[in-house]
Amino acid sequence: MGKYPRWPIHLALLAASFVMLVPFYWVLKTSISGENIFAYPPSIIPRDPNPFYYVDVWYAIPFARFFLNSVVVSVITIVANVVLNAMAGYSLTQRFLGKSAVLMLFLSCMMIPFQTTIIPAYLITGKLGLLDSYLGLALPMFSTIICIFVFKASFDAIPRSLIDAARIDGLSDWNIIWKVMMPLAKSAMATNVILSFIWSWNNFMWPLIATRSADMQTLPLGLARFLSYQEDSTGALYAFCIMVLAPGILLFLLAQREFVQGLTSGAAKG
Amino acid sequence: MNDEDISRPKWKRWLLNRFVLVPAALVLITVGWNLWVVTHDHGIVEGRVVDAAGAPVEGAEVRLWVFNFATFVVKASTTTRPDGSFEFADNPSHNIQVSAEKPGTGRSARVPIRLYFASEDFVLKDPLRLTDGS
Amino acid sequence: MRRPHFKLRKSTRKAVLIWSFLAPSLLIFFLYRILPLGWNVLLSFQAWSPMKPAVFIGLENYQEMLFEDEVFWQALWNTIGIIGSAPIGIAIALGLALLVNSDIRGRDIYRTLIFLSYPLMTVAVAIIWRWMFDERVGLINYVARMLDLVDKPIPFLNSFTWALPSVIAANIWQMLGFYMIIILTGLQNIPGNLYEAAAIDGANAFRRFLRITLPLLKPSIFLCFVIGMLNSVTSFDLVYVMTAGGPGHATEILVTYIYKLGFTQTRFDYAAAVTVVFFLLLLGVTFTANRLSGGNAGAVEID
Repeated sequence: MGKYPRWPIHLALLAASFVMLVPFYWVLKTSISGENIFAYPPSIIPRDPNPFYYVDVWYAIPFARFFLNSVVVSVITIVANVVLNAMAGYSLTQRFLGKSAVLMLFLSCMMIPFQTTIIPAYLITGKLGLLDSYLGLALPMFSTIICIFVFKASFDAIPRSLIDAARIDGLSDWNIIWKVMMPLAKSAMATNVILSFIWSWNNFMWPLIATRSADMQTLPLGLARFLSYQEDSTGALYAFCIMVLAPGILLFLLAQREFVQGLTSGAAKG
Repeated sequence: MNDEDISRPKWKRWLLNRFVLVPAALVLITVGWNLWVVTHDHGIVEGRVVDAAGAPVEGAEVRLWVFNFATFVVKASTTTRPDGSFEFADNPSHNIQVSAEKPGTGRSARVPIRLYFASEDFVLKDPLRLTDGS
Repeated sequence: MRRPHFKLRKSTRKAVLIWSFLAPSLLIFFLYRILPLGWNVLLSFQAWSPMKPAVFIGLENYQEMLFEDEVFWQALWNTIGIIGSAPIGIAIALGLALLVNSDIRGRDIYRTLIFLSYPLMTVAVAIIWRWMFDERVGLINYVARMLDLVDKPIPFLNSFTWALPSVIAANIWQMLGFYMIIILTGLQNIPGNLYEAAAIDGANAFRRFLRITLPLLKPSIFLCFVIGMLNSVTSFDLVYVMTAGGPGHATEILVTYIYKLGFTQTRFDYAAAVTVVFFLLLLGVTFTANRLSGGNAGAVEID
């Protein structure tokens, strides 16, 4: 590509990274020192940092309960997602009557964003008696098209010779799926787990609609309620933000590769 | 798993996988923290009261204030022993204040105490100083 | 050769297997995508209060929406504004992707740092930006005053002119990493020999960019646009927490309006009508974008 100076590129990228990271630093700083809520001009380094806002958050709201709710709903979603998407992805690798219709159906469902279905989804969940329950909170997210296609791509990549050899060895279709194909689709599973966790953990609108009692609220709801109830007067709100962002960031840093892979391959195929 | 050394024994590969290490570490930290909390949450708050000269004060009334929604309210009070020390049991909160008063000797400022968890056992480092006679 | 009659033929067994694998996913999509779509259309032509039977009223809901409802038109206008701002984010991400793709050390770190904003909870992002845009203690106002750009602090989230751009800025901040990753993947899929051939033919870097990079990035850019548009017009979380619809209805978008109609005013039938219009808008924009990028989801042949 020819020689060109590297430092302007570094400079530009550093500036971009700075812009992306400053909000984090700012929130972190306020969560441990409580300044900048009323003070002006703001300070760059926190004066007397203390971790007690985090303790405040834990006791001011039923944080443990909200956390538990989020975790339970996420776990249900993840398990259901992996199972349903793997099954659907496998089916799409086989040839069968009506396959193109099913594919068209899936692709057109991608065009229906969740926000255009909220009212009937609320009514349907109500009719099923699942409002205000873990299952009702998780149900709309039990299967996602992007992840179905990720599994399909992963299964398609398994060399035919392997499957044929297994067939010659006398394995039935069922056994082939579980003993040959699933172990080779580990990365698709990892991608699905991560994506469905992030979507379900961060989901705000559906729990807002589908919960009735304060007991069943999830973390994003708790955070929004905390905002209206605490009104920004202490560092506790920002401590709450950090506590809520930490799992997402941790998971992302841990599983970057799978995350990026899943997004690009799933999105590209869709 | 193609970027890991196949020659390592399988259990070792599994254990040192980042998806096992990190959650395991988190679980250990959580369990350890909970153990610490459970063994240290009797709600005992101890301290001493001294007068302006530094001598221990006996019979001073010490009050425990507990944070309740927006203000502090008095939850308990006790009197200091001959050596100036006092002790509260059953502190229920994580955000408290203590103050001491003895008519004739003075009163102390309200000292805020922030705890790491509710009912943490706490010993006040600096004694409560009574100033301003009456 | 005798076969027991109850044993199904292999092909039928296989078909049963396949359809039973597809059934749960199909059920979920039917229940939560297709049925709601149809129900919305049906509801939009009815007058319905929960507890009373539904009454068919034809186009009355649409009439009210189009001719009497100012909030609807404000929300529609705001939504279109957000769609129109997607190219800004994509352009910035394109620049970032080009920078990250070049041959420098630590590109993975930069990529991670820039992408970090995407997997975050939008509610938390909204709270953070709500505070950054604050009139008294916000960072943006502080920097602007430090650099002497303004004399008095600007009440971003309380002014009719600045509220929507502020929300859009927060949205772009969150999506930048996502756009960058998609474009980066597209960039890395361009075969290097195309550039070499062009260089041999005497094309300079700028022309190589225009003639090779941009056309081959069309599918990625199209994807970014569609996903970005879908994400930004459905960014209920961001608007709800940052401004709750804004001063007056300055940041009201169709999604928040639908939510308020349905769950605050309990006007399910009217909300369904607005939802139908919203859905048609999305379809229209996607198809137009498809046409503009050459049809077939912008797919490009490389051979």
